[in-house]
Amino acid sequence: MKKALLVITMMLALAIAVGGCATKGDLEAVEAREKAMAAKADQAAQDAEEAKMAADEAIMKANEAIERAEEAEMRANEREALAAEKERLAEEKAKEADEKFKKSMKK
Amino acid sequence: MIVLPPTSHRFSLTVLLLFVLSMPGCANVRGFLNESLPFPMHTADGVERNDFVVAKDVDVIGRLAMIRVEEGDTLPDIARHFSLGLNTVSTANPGVDIWVPEAGERLLLPMSFILPDAPRKGIVINQATMRLFHFKKNAHLLEVSTYPVGIGTEERPTPMGKMYISRKKHLPTWYVPASIAADHRKKGDPLPPSVPPGPDNPLGEHALYLSRITYLIHGTNKPASVGLRATNGCIRLYPEDVVRLFENTPVKTPVKIVNQPYLAGQRDGIVYLEAHTPFEESGTANWKKVYAKLKKIEKASGNALDWKKVKDVVIEASGFPVPVSAIPPGSDMAMVEPLKLWHPSRLHGKPDVPEFQTDAWYVLAATLTDKVDARRLAAIINHQGPPIPARVLSKNGRHRVLAGPFENRRAARDAAKRLKIDLELKGVVFET
Repeated sequence: MKKALLVITMMLALAIAVGGCATKGDLEAVEAREKAMAAKADQAAQDAEEAKMAADEAIMKANEAIERAEEAEMRANEREALAAEKERLAEEKAKEADEKFKKSMKK
Repeated sequence: MIVLPPTSHRFSLTVLLLFVLSMPGCANVRGFLNESLPFPMHTADGVERNDFVVAKDVDVIGRLAMIRVEEGDTLPDIARHFSLGLNTVSTANPGVDIWVPEAGERLLLPMSFILPDAPRKGIVINQATMRLFHFKKNAHLLEVSTYPVGIGTEERPTPMGKMYISRKKHLPTWYVPASIAADHRKKGDPLPPSVPPGPDNPLGEHALYLSRITYLIHGTNKPASVGLRATNGCIRLYPEDVVRLFENTPVKTPVKIVNQPYLAGQRDGIVYLEAHTPFEESGTANWKKVYAKLKKIEKASGNALDWKKVKDVVIEASGFPVPVSAIPPGSDMAMVEPLKLWHPSRLHGKPDVPEFQTDAWYVLAATLTDKVDARRLAAIINHQGPPIPARVLSKNGRHRVLAGPFENRRAARDAAKRLKIDLELKGVVFET
């Protein structure tokens, strides 16, 4: 009886041991997965780098555009100020002429 | 088989067909006229400028009008043609260049007036509106003739109060007052003790002497000054207006001079308010009276006034009557809306500018780089009194203002002297 019990225990232990060990094929598959994951990570990092560069470039372009717009606005403001100044001068000249005219209308 | 009508019927049918076909054509022409000429519908001469019948309980006379500016017009010319003062036209059209208005611009002609708050007899002059009203009884009708005037400066104002016409004189001599003689001496332009009738006489050809000694109602040799505070206290009228006043005013006619910048009145159940910018601090007392009058009208009529509008009218001070009450149903809206006028072919009194002549004397008044400035200066010179003809000659972006032609060197030198004294221009005399 004891012998039979020992045999059963050993067989059970063997079965457990055999079931717990990975095959060579399993190991290769794991390694391949790891490589693929590493490649994907590299690709993702590269993509991220490229995206960052693209974003930086876009920001740079946007900044340039903003600068251009600001310059244009400044020029427009300057033009407006010049036009306003011109108008003011024209009004002043007209007013001055009117004043002289009024004075000339006295006896 | 088609049966043709007899020849006579065919002719009638043809005429009918042509008539029918022409109808849309007429509509198109009308449409074209309406589109391209949406504006004038009345001749400028068909609108009353001076003479009105004053119905009982009516305080407002005349009506507003509009006109389109044409190339070469100036506000003084338009004002004179419509018997308005320069102040009135200029105030009613803020932002419009007095001397170089843009062709096509619409101008409001404030040819509507609220009668001054004074007895309606004899002559009433409202200094604030620079307008004279001459009331006359004709049988049972009360008639009024109204003219724009020029009045005294701030330093030498026109006197106020009651007086009368003491005498009248056709072709008066101007005896130069000491104050004016002193002014002219200072300017390097000494005057003789008296100036006989003629183009240099500032009284023009007609004078009505007031009982207040040294003050006159007279014509002028400077018509563009009507509507300005430019006299030494006298009242100036356009030459064409003073003739009519002279002929229709007997000696002893009472004259009342008031200063009412705010005027309220009614016509056709509509309440109007007219506001002018008061001289110095003269407006407060007058406004209190007018405010009380408006309140009284509101209470008596039971018709609420638009008090916001009242405030706006006072602030704007546009110088013509503006409705400040609701317009009752059935009212003649035509009297409220401005009348649209054709531009007259020639503006009365517009200075003539002779063609450029060779073998004549000229004064180069100025050389300017801005054409508008040059046109303005030429217009101002043209409106001097007596007139000095002037024009602009443009070449290579330079605009030369030439005064002339003059018959001889002396006449040109006299003009150059006047330009220097009156307009501070250093002219150069030359012969073409």
